[in-house]
Amino acid sequence: MASPGPSSPPASRSTRRRAPSAASNAGVLPPDVLFDVLLRLPAKELCRLRAVCHGWRSLTMDPLFASAHAARHPDPLFLASFRDDRMHICVADLSGNVVKRIPNADGHQLLCTRLDLACAASVGNSCHVIDPATGSVHVLPESPAVAHLYEENLHETSTSFVFGRVATTGEYKVLRSFAPIYTEADVEHYHYQLFEVFTINGASSSGSGHAHWRALMPRYEGWRYNECFVEVRSAIVIGEVVYFKVDIAYDEQIGLDRIVPFDLEREEWMEVLRGPISDIFFTDEYDNHLEDYRSLGSELTLAELRGSLGLVHYRKYHHIMDLWVLKDFDSFLWVKEHIIQIEPIFPTTEGFVKSLFMLEDGRIVIHFPVTGLLFIYDPRTNTSAQVEMRHLDAVAMYTGNLLSLQVGDMM
Amino acid sequence: MASAGSGDEKAAAAAMITLISSDNEKFEVTEATATLSQTIRHMIEDGCTDGGVPLPNVTSKILARVIEYCKKHATAAAGEEGSSSSFSDAAFLEVDRAFLEELEEFDDAFLEVDRATLFDLILAANYLDIKGLLNLTCQKVADSVKGKTPEQIREMYNIVNDLTPEEEAEIRRETQWAFE
Repeated sequence: MASPGPSSPPASRSTRRRAPSAASNAGVLPPDVLFDVLLRLPAKELCRLRAVCHGWRSLTMDPLFASAHAARHPDPLFLASFRDDRMHICVADLSGNVVKRIPNADGHQLLCTRLDLACAASVGNSCHVIDPATGSVHVLPESPAVAHLYEENLHETSTSFVFGRVATTGEYKVLRSFAPIYTEADVEHYHYQLFEVFTINGASSSGSGHAHWRALMPRYEGWRYNECFVEVRSAIVIGEVVYFKVDIAYDEQIGLDRIVPFDLEREEWMEVLRGPISDIFFTDEYDNHLEDYRSLGSELTLAELRGSLGLVHYRKYHHIMDLWVLKDFDSFLWVKEHIIQIEPIFPTTEGFVKSLFMLEDGRIVIHFPVTGLLFIYDPRTNTSAQVEMRHLDAVAMYTGNLLSLQVGDMM
Repeated sequence: MASAGSGDEKAAAAAMITLISSDNEKFEVTEATATLSQTIRHMIEDGCTDGGVPLPNVTSKILARVIEYCKKHATAAAGEEGSSSSFSDAAFLEVDRAFLEELEEFDDAFLEVDRATLFDLILAANYLDIKGLLNLTCQKVADSVKGKTPEQIREMYNIVNDLTPEEEAEIRRETQWAFE
């Protein structure tokens, strides 16, 4: 077949009708036809076929080809880490087929994101950002922000990380928290969580302090409503905003369905959001006791629903899970959009959902923590199907392109 | 379908076009058959088909096959169009399904050719801009490549490996996951 130039454009109607060469029988395909043929193959095949010859290699590495391929193969991919293979992060399709395996450091949990990069972090203050297409790894520095150097939180670190992207600047940012130390002796002291931000690919990463963690103002200063702690591991990122559940371990009086947003672009905490449940919790519909109210915190999971904030309430003893969607940010208008039957599809051993997000086509991916099972719920038919795969530790959406070999701005 | 955009369908369907292969063989086809080719459709629209359409890039052997394909698919298209005005939905669906099955069988049999012919068909479909045929033949090539090693593909398609051993080693390192 032909060896196309490094950037054969997709055939347009006007360029397509090209006369074949005189020796048309020599088994040579014009570049635009080869483009058309290779576009039909899955990404994994194409990466293997890069070793055929120069022409095939440059064609399959061309950004134009990569975007045409993505348009033709729109099936979503996700990132997965499996319990029996802690040394890898996998790119898999929704049938459960592993398309690609990339190395991961042991003890690093895959964060739930919806990006073209993966982030894996440990409680021991180690955080890696990985490009699943190229396999390149960015290891974040461990040393704290200068302003936090003498904070007592750092004596005994238990770290949590959140990974997001600011669309307007294209910057990837990592938010790090040091768990507060809460000892008997400290009871009289104020306690707060320490937060820091790191920019992966700042426009001026060659200077201006981007290669360091930056300390965030302690939250108690900026809070008008409650001084509460957030559950960093509950975080989800929607656009530029990180949402956290409140951590009831520190304050049982607080509304358990409060949600704390953080603006990743401006690096500021935002006003606390009222959830939909605590106001109606004692009404007839719920008919719950106080113990149930305390357990509410553990039944809730934040969800990403195609750009909207969702809140999953796993009401095991009512055999349903409610899926609330925040319709209006300013008026705290929540709508219960879906009521999903737990039985007989979902495992009875589960008490809550680990992660839940919506695909572009409206189907909903549900991951359970205990059994590690993954389901896809289709609201149109009100049915759920299990994705056949091994015990899943963590799952994230992958928006990248496996054909891309561009390391881009990441490093 | 063949006469979409034209108000006088019957007249258009009856019109004949002469196609002339590179080895000077003449083929008479209906306009409905010929206009599966966008290239020829444009020529007809531009009124430059009098005296036949010379196709200097297509041999008579390949042109005969291409016409065979176009005839079959033009008939199917016309059949579908006719049935869409039918009153009985059930019967119409039944006819539709039969058409599709027959067409699929035809396509499968049509693709039972050697590689050189397949490539010639692709080139002709590309030149004549026959979307269905190009799609069919390209898919056939894509299917033949699936699951093969780079060595097998080079052998199948007489591709010369112009990568240096170092380059090849580097590609294999980069894409090692794809060989797993």
